[in-house]
Amino acid sequence: MPDPSSPIPVEIPTTQVSCRVNGAEISRTVPVDTPLLAFLRDVLGLTGTKGACLEGECGSCTVLVDGVTVNSCLMLAAQANDRNITTIEGLAVGSELDVIQDSFIETGAAQCGYCTPGLIMSARALLNDQPDISEDELLTAMEGNICRCTGYASIIQAVKRAHRESQSP
Amino acid sequence: MFHQPITIEEALNLRNELGADATVINGGTDVVVAMNHGALKPQCFIDLSRLTSLRKNREDDGSLILGAGTTFAMMGRSHLRALREASLSVGGPAIRNVGTLGGNIATASPAGDGCVALLAMNADVQLTSAERGERWIPLVDFFIDYRKTALAGDELITAVRVPKDPQSRWYKIGKRGAVNISLVCCAVSRNANGKIGLAFGCVGPMPITTPKAASLLNGDPLTPELIDDVANLVAQEVRPIDDHRGSATYRRAMCKTLVKRLLTDLHAGDQKGDADA
Repeated sequence: MPDPSSPIPVEIPTTQVSCRVNGAEISRTVPVDTPLLAFLRDVLGLTGTKGACLEGECGSCTVLVDGVTVNSCLMLAAQANDRNITTIEGLAVGSELDVIQDSFIETGAAQCGYCTPGLIMSARALLNDQPDISEDELLTAMEGNICRCTGYASIIQAVKRAHRESQSP
Repeated sequence: MFHQPITIEEALNLRNELGADATVINGGTDVVVAMNHGALKPQCFIDLSRLTSLRKNREDDGSLILGAGTTFAMMGRSHLRALREASLSVGGPAIRNVGTLGGNIATASPAGDGCVALLAMNADVQLTSAERGERWIPLVDFFIDYRKTALAGDELITAVRVPKDPQSRWYKIGKRGAVNISLVCCAVSRNANGKIGLAFGCVGPMPITTPKAASLLNGDPLTPELIDDVANLVAQEVRPIDDHRGSATYRRAMCKTLVKRLLTDLHAGDQKGDADA
């Protein structure tokens, strides 16, 4: 006998999601309520993007959608149809790290590392957008990412270094 | 089912046809939070994020009409000071890139920062249905009670209308500098005709105005005495509760402080001849 107090299992309808992830054309059928975060991690196996608060407070799930930062925990995979998604896995070219990844290593900006992919994606969007960056713009661009190891000083230093490096010829 | 209309007509027809069976989503910054918390289990969505027409802003006869799909990032570049500052205080950049004006209004959270700025400006909201067309109602009448609104089951929020060049001030008190839910939030605004609006967040079941206190402001100069009288009446008129973020007593006191500070600042702007600086 099924437990009468348990909710009746509901079959969630599925939908086709077709998008470009880190340059590759992807097409998968998923339940309509699948968040982009779960799509990336559980369907595509791209586990570099992290989930933590699941309410847009922490920024650990930050990815780029058409070059703009988005909390992937709050976007549905189906909303990403036809969009260009960039995750942390899409930054390095072969064994050549992105300048921001390199700077995070150089300045010791990663402690436990859980927030790091989200921080790097926020920094990537900032550096893509603006050749000149003020201190205020930098802090604003990074304000949606929380680091609980309290490593902010070295994180800011890393982003500044990456900015300098990408400016130098 | 996942519906992704590309025209407003298509979206309105879907809404008309599916009503409560479909969850309307745009930026997802409220809807998917509720899903992640298990409070909402939609099986059918109408996604408005492809309606570029909803993101357009235009001027109309002394008013500014903001499409309901205008994002917080876009409002963060608005010339309307209170709306700009409120928008930039919402979430982090990734939230502001997708969260929308229409969504903020539809959610009707008492802590809706954007709603507080708009209420002070005496904004109107446009609700549209496929069968009955569009209607404009004052935003203050849209909020009925805690997360209860005047939106009918076949309607979508399509636009918000505000005066073109109001002077406005806005401030929120929260616990941190960013990704900061309001503990108390206040906005004041003065239209070209001198009419002053006052609005508050987190001191009632929804974003609220204080009509009694506002009625003292009938075009007279903003003297310190008048501002004091208004602030005292505001403290009586707001209805805060105690919760984990702060006590009712504190919130009431802060409403008085904030409205006094913002009206004084508006007055100081008058003196400098640059009221919105």
